[in-house]
Amino acid sequence: MAIRDDLITQITTNIAAHSNVSISQELPFDQSGVPLYNKNMGTIYVDEQDIVVEQLYRTLDQGEVNQSTTTVNAYLSVDAKNEYSDINTVVANLLIARNVVTNVLDKNSDYETDMVDDVITYTFEYNFITV
Amino acid sequence: MAVINVTNGTQAILTVGSNATLAVPGNAGGMVVPFVQDITVNASPGTVRYSTLDSTSSSAFTTVNENSISLNLLVDEDIMFGADDSNVNTVIDKGLFVTSTEKTEVHFSVSVTGTGTTGDIFIAGKGFIGGLAPTASVDGAVWLSPCELIVNGELTRTFEA
Repeated sequence: MAIRDDLITQITTNIAAHSNVSISQELPFDQSGVPLYNKNMGTIYVDEQDIVVEQLYRTLDQGEVNQSTTTVNAYLSVDAKNEYSDINTVVANLLIARNVVTNVLDKNSDYETDMVDDVITYTFEYNFITV
Repeated sequence: MAVINVTNGTQAILTVGSNATLAVPGNAGGMVVPFVQDITVNASPGTVRYSTLDSTSSSAFTTVNENSISLNLLVDEDIMFGADDSNVNTVIDKGLFVTSTEKTEVHFSVSVTGTGTTGDIFIAGKGFIGGLAPTASVDGAVWLSPCELIVNGELTRTFEA
């Protein structure tokens, strides 16, 4: 199963107790150039995963030991004027959803916020490194 | 006259065999050690320095050569711990680790300029495998190990015919 699918499954579990937030599996999540997470506030959208493969070790016989970094972004927009009381818990549950992915060398997650008009958009970034 | 480029994957290749023929570069029965990160051929004559009353500089004379091959490698399962029990080349069967612990003498070659072409240079010798210290860490992600071939006797330089 792809990492994106694993994340969606885990996020679904982690936000089950938060009735004001839901998750969509939809791809793409864009309508006439407008991201759907801005239109459907409170719905989490998970982007397709990006993979970067780099050479981890160089050897004289040109043996291939590669490192793959898989990046998945997720988006959540909320009304800045009526922010959820449990938004911090929602964010924390989204961040720890990374733990569902196993057998990786390194995994981390972070988020940043962007405010446009009255909408706060949380952009989550998950990174998974495998060898 | 030219520097030797080692970036195409065919130079600086270590081949190990249980006899001299098997250790020649390109021999199908030789054990080519893969995933070598760096390799150093140490060919050093021993020296003794002495001083005399009639000179303001010290003098020296040579003693025996002390030769060795040292390298660092990523641990390949078969190469380090053996592949099977049916090879003429017993180093392939036992791998570097057991060959080292059993103190079995091996033959080896280091191809300098590649192999398969007339005039290609390789350095050959025999000796004992030592210096293995497989190390694993989360940061390293794979097993890494140094290795040393303690040369018994002289290193020879050979041009492929």
